[in-house]
Amino acid sequence: MRGGQLRLTVALLAGTLGLAALGLVATHGEEPGFLLPIPVELAVGWSFVGAGLVGWARRPDNPTGLLMTLTGLVWFGRQLEWLDTPLASHLSHVSVNLFLALVAHQLVVFPNGAARTRVERMLVVATYAVALGGYALSKLFYDPTAEGCAGCPHNLLLLFPNSGLNAIANLVPSAVGIVLVVVILARLVRRWWTASPPARRVLAPVAWTGPASLVLVAVTIGLYAVGVSATLDRVLQWSTLVYTAIPLAFLAGLLRMRLHRGALGGLVVELSDAATATDVRGALARTLGDPSLEVAFWLPEREGYIDLEGHPFGLPSGGDRAVTVLEDGQQRLAALVYDRSLLDDSELVRAAGAAARMALENARLQAELRAQLEEVRASRARIVEAGDAERRRLERDLHDGAQQRLLGIRLALRLARGELEKGGRAVDELLTEAESELAQTLDELRALARGIHPAVLTEEGLGPAVETLARRASVPVQIDRLPVDRLPSAVEAAAYFVTAEALANVAKHARASGVRISMRHADGSLFIDISDDGIGGADSAGSGLIGLRDRVEALNGRLRVEGSPGRGTRLRAEIPCRTGPDARAVDGA
Amino acid sequence: MKRTILIVDDHPSFRRFARRVLEADGFVVVGEASDGASAVAACRRWRPQLVLLDILLPDMDGFAVADTLADEPQRPVVILTSSREASDYAKRLERTSARGFLAKAELSGAALAALVDRR
Repeated sequence: MRGGQLRLTVALLAGTLGLAALGLVATHGEEPGFLLPIPVELAVGWSFVGAGLVGWARRPDNPTGLLMTLTGLVWFGRQLEWLDTPLASHLSHVSVNLFLALVAHQLVVFPNGAARTRVERMLVVATYAVALGGYALSKLFYDPTAEGCAGCPHNLLLLFPNSGLNAIANLVPSAVGIVLVVVILARLVRRWWTASPPARRVLAPVAWTGPASLVLVAVTIGLYAVGVSATLDRVLQWSTLVYTAIPLAFLAGLLRMRLHRGALGGLVVELSDAATATDVRGALARTLGDPSLEVAFWLPEREGYIDLEGHPFGLPSGGDRAVTVLEDGQQRLAALVYDRSLLDDSELVRAAGAAARMALENARLQAELRAQLEEVRASRARIVEAGDAERRRLERDLHDGAQQRLLGIRLALRLARGELEKGGRAVDELLTEAESELAQTLDELRALARGIHPAVLTEEGLGPAVETLARRASVPVQIDRLPVDRLPSAVEAAAYFVTAEALANVAKHARASGVRISMRHADGSLFIDISDDGIGGADSAGSGLIGLRDRVEALNGRLRVEGSPGRGTRLRAEIPCRTGPDARAVDGA
Repeated sequence: MKRTILIVDDHPSFRRFARRVLEADGFVVVGEASDGASAVAACRRWRPQLVLLDILLPDMDGFAVADTLADEPQRPVVILTSSREASDYAKRLERTSARGFLAKAELSGAALAALVDRR
């Protein structure tokens, strides 16, 4: 039987039960004392069944609707009292207790409809244990005749009559029941108190109706304990009508989880006006009722998410936040990060995301652009800074090296002249010293010039220049492949300095026993692959590597450093070799 | 009486030539130091009348060393020197506790004596 047919059957059954009760009242004139006025009986039963069926139909995945329907049907079990037999009387009373247990059960598990934690499961089990076990216990020593109810049906559960034990057997389940009610109420209040706005929206109807109904129960019990007049008795019986609010509250809460589906239409309208990513986020947050909603965009080339400002964004895992990743075909587009309580309706989140896809796509492009702009700004600043640092280093190198030696030579020559004037013999020694200083100066100047721009790179090209680097490296270098033809000078320079920096890093940090270099010119790009067998764990945010990445990215290339501790380091770069204005601009840098 | 002098510079080749030049011009080079800290220690030990002090030292700059030496009881006369020009340090040279500045290229006993005797 499909859900729809089943629900129809249940509705017919509830209707029949109610009408039968109505017929009984009509034919008998008055209901048995245990029963409430027939309008109240019908209202409570039908409200639970009706609200339950609606909830069941609208949220078939959520057991709350089914539970409410069942609660309503159980309520009609009270009508067994009409049969006036001992068994029917027991069943009628049991159905009341079961009804209360079902309501309590729903309060514990609302809005999920199913117990999710151990505490919730324990509370649910305890509720049924008290409702059914407590009833049985309360009848074990109860003799209707001895207790002054001669007309009452015979007690089938009677072990032996005992007035004292009977009092205790009645008191214990009541006391435990009250404790349970207090615990369930306290949990409800606490959940309301700590709930996030969207969770509160769902909890609100139940959080107000539940305690109100329970207070009414407490007042009723209190009044009966002190004794009530016939009129007040009638008033209290009619006040039971308030219980019809309970299923409506459950239903309202249940539907509120879905209510905002209707807001999707509004979302589409709002999105047509949304100009920026911030507008899109705002529209989604309002539609989903979660002010804390965050939007993160997927950036394929970074293989990571960025937030609305273009900063890197890490998706949360676990905790109070849930994530829905929106995809466009195979391509990841964006992620919505929201309050976990919305997860009960992740379909809505997905639908809202789908409705916002175009706007999100636009916003993502914007955010991507902003991220690129920010990166370009940062890299421009770094390039300027790197240039300045390089100039400072050159000045210092010249100052410490060649300049000092040339000064020394000048002083030596001045001394030599003085010696010559005196006819001294130290001239030979001074000139020898000056010559040696000059030779060292020339060596230092050559090394310095090579650091600025290696002559071999200009004259012979990338291959011979890399071979020179390999020969000078402090770690054995194996060259697998090098380009034979000349490439644009900016590409050659970038490749050269990438190699030089990589070899310098290997010498400084890697503790490697060997390096392999492969450079391949194919498909209009130069592919560089430099790997070592060292300790790995290179930090790709290190200043040297960032400088290299800036240099490579300025040529529209890519540079990546991979390497986990213990597995060596591998640097890979791809530099496009087209000779365009971009390439020329960096030429000579 | 010959003047005693301490040469402070982190480049050994410069120290070597400076010693020769100054000794040829009649100074007594009582010691050499390669950084600020050892310069202060050398002053306490050899008590030179003059200190030829390079500005760019590995541990601290010559201005700071000059200030430290100015607080020493023997208060040697300090002449700063550098391969850079005086104009590179114009502001700081106005305020320094050193007696004067002599570019390394200009180093000679006569130039040094002229600076020391300037006032």
